[in-house]
Amino acid sequence: MSTLTASRTAPSRAALARTHRRGSVSTVERVVRWSLMVVAMVLVLGPLAWQLSTALKGAGESTAGFPGSLVPTDPTLDNFVTAFTAIPLGRYLLNSAAISALGVTTNLVLATLTGYALARIAFRGRALYMAVLLATAALPFEVILVSTLLVTRGLGLQDTLLGVVLPQAVSIVSIFVMRQAFRNVPDEIEEAALMDGAGALRVFWSVMLPSVRGSVAVVAVLGFLDTWDQFLWPLVILSDPAKYPVNVGVQFLSGAFSADQRVISAAALIVVVPPLLVYFFMQKQVFTGLAEGALKG
Amino acid sequence: MTTATVATTAGRRASVRRPAVAPARRHRWWVPLVFIGPVLVIQVTFLFLPLGNTFVLAFTDASTIGGGTFTGWENFATIFTSPVFWEAAGHTGLYLVLAVPAIVCLSLFLAILVNTSMRGAGIVRPILFSPLVMPMAVVALMFQYVLSSDGLLNQVLRGLSIVTEPVGFLTSSRLALLSAVLVTVWKGCGLYTLILLAALQNVSRELDQAAELDGASWLRRTWSVTIPQIRGTVVLVAILSAIAALRVFTEPFVLTGGGPGTSSTTMVLYLFTQGISPGTQAGFASAVSLVLFVAVLLVSAVGWSVSRRSNR
Repeated sequence: MSTLTASRTAPSRAALARTHRRGSVSTVERVVRWSLMVVAMVLVLGPLAWQLSTALKGAGESTAGFPGSLVPTDPTLDNFVTAFTAIPLGRYLLNSAAISALGVTTNLVLATLTGYALARIAFRGRALYMAVLLATAALPFEVILVSTLLVTRGLGLQDTLLGVVLPQAVSIVSIFVMRQAFRNVPDEIEEAALMDGAGALRVFWSVMLPSVRGSVAVVAVLGFLDTWDQFLWPLVILSDPAKYPVNVGVQFLSGAFSADQRVISAAALIVVVPPLLVYFFMQKQVFTGLAEGALKG
Repeated sequence: MTTATVATTAGRRASVRRPAVAPARRHRWWVPLVFIGPVLVIQVTFLFLPLGNTFVLAFTDASTIGGGTFTGWENFATIFTSPVFWEAAGHTGLYLVLAVPAIVCLSLFLAILVNTSMRGAGIVRPILFSPLVMPMAVVALMFQYVLSSDGLLNQVLRGLSIVTEPVGFLTSSRLALLSAVLVTVWKGCGLYTLILLAALQNVSRELDQAAELDGASWLRRTWSVTIPQIRGTVVLVAILSAIAALRVFTEPFVLTGGGPGTSSTTMVLYLFTQGISPGTQAGFASAVSLVLFVAVLLVSAVGWSVSRRSNR
C-alpha cells in the first residue's frame, strides 16, 4: 500500500498517514467497504466466470437448464481445441495480430513524427494545424464512415490489411501524448547535438527519440488496445471472411453450423486474454495514456 | 500495486512545476515536411476527403463516390419525415438518458468505494477497471449469453425466486435496448471509475479533516466536501459517456442486431443499414451522418458550457 501514499505530494502524505493509518479505519467502515467491494467484483468477474465455466464443460454436461451449475462436473479443455479446429479462430487471431502489429507501428511512427514537429519545429501554419487536429479529435468516426468506405474502396483497398489500418492509422491522442513528451525534453540536449553538427533527422532519431521512451511505450500500448478493440470499421471494409479479425470473426460463430455455446465461450475468453495480459503487465502505461486521453478529450 | 500511483500521474504532473518548455527551432524548408507530411497525406485521404465528401453527398442521390445528382435538401426532408429515423433517434436519445446517469452515479460510487488505504483495495482496483481493455464486440458477445434465456442473469433471478419464467432480455422489444444499455454501463464503468478515482486522489484532505473536526458525518463530508471538488471531472465523465452513447453501435448490433424488429436500432445502426451494404443510398446515409454530427456537436457544446460553469 506504500504506493498509494508515495503518489501524493509531501504534505498530504503526512495528512494521510495521520488520518488513514490502517488501524484508524473503523471496523464498521472496513466491513461495509469490503462487502460492497466484493459485490462490485462479483458483478465484474461473474460474467467472465460464467464464460469460463461453460467453456470448461464437456459435451456430456448441459449448459442450459435450470438450475445451472457454475462448477463443471468434468472439466475439459476440448472446447478450446475445438475453437481452433472447427472454426478458424487461429486464422482470425493471426489477422488480428497482423492488424495490431501494423496499426501499432503506423500509430507510433506517425504520432512520433507529428508530435515532434508540433513540439520542436517552427513552421508556418503550426498553430493552425494544432487547431485543426484538436477539432478533428471531436469528429466521430461514424460520421465519415460511409464516405471513408467509398474512398477506401475507390483506392482498391477493400479486403486488404492496409484498408483496415490506414483510415485509423494514427490517433490524435497519441500525437498529443508525443507532443507533450517532446516539449519536456530539455533544450540543452538538442542544442548540444546540433552543435556537434548533427542534422535535424539525426537529432530526432538518436537524441530526442531515446529521451521519450516512456511515452513511446504508452503510445504503443494504447495503439494495441485500440486496434484490438476495432469492430465497426473491419466489419464494414472486409467482406472476405478469411480476412476477418477475431472481433468480427467470433460474431458469426453463433450463426455457424457449430452453434455450441461452449466453443463460443472458449473463443470469447481467448480474445479477451491478450489485452488483459497487456493491461496487468503494463498498467502504468495504460493509466498514463488514458489519463492524458481523457484530459484531451 | 502501482495502480494508485499511476492514477494520479496526470494530476501530479500539473502540480509539479514544469520545466520551461523548449523553444521550437527553425530548420531548412523540407524538414517540417518530412515530419508532418506522412500524417498530412493520411489525414487528407482518410479524414478531410471523406468529411468533405459527406457534406457533398448529403445533398445528392448518390450511391457511390462522386456519383449522383444534386437534390438539395431532399434527403433531409426524407429523414425528418421518416418514422424509422425518428424511432432510431428516439432510441439513441433514450440510450443517452439511461446510460449517462447510470454511468456517472455508478462510477462515482465505485471510485469513492475504492478510494481507501484499506488493505486489499489495491487488488480490487485493477479488477474493477479491467473491462476497459476488453473489446466491446467480445463483451457484447459474452453478455448475449449471460442475458439469454438460459443465461447467468436468468439463472440468478430464478434461483432467487424473483421470476418464475426466464425473462426475454434480448427477445422482448421492451427490454432489448435496456439490455444494450446494461452492457454499455458494465464496460464503461471500468474507464470512468478510473478517471474519477484519479480526480479523487488529487482532492486535498485538509477540507475533509476540518469538516470531520466540525463533526460532519462521512456521508455529509463526501457529498458536500469531496464531490464538489471533483465536479469538473464528474461533468467530463458525463460528456464523454454522452458522446459515446450517441455513437453506440456494437452493443445493440451484437446483442440483437437492432431487433427484435427495430426495437433496439440506434442512430449509428440505422446509418449502418442505410449506407453500408452494396447498392444502398450513400447520399441519404451521408445526410443521416450529418444529423448525427450535429447531435454530437450539440451535446458537446451543452457539456462544455456546463463544465465551464461548474469550474468557476
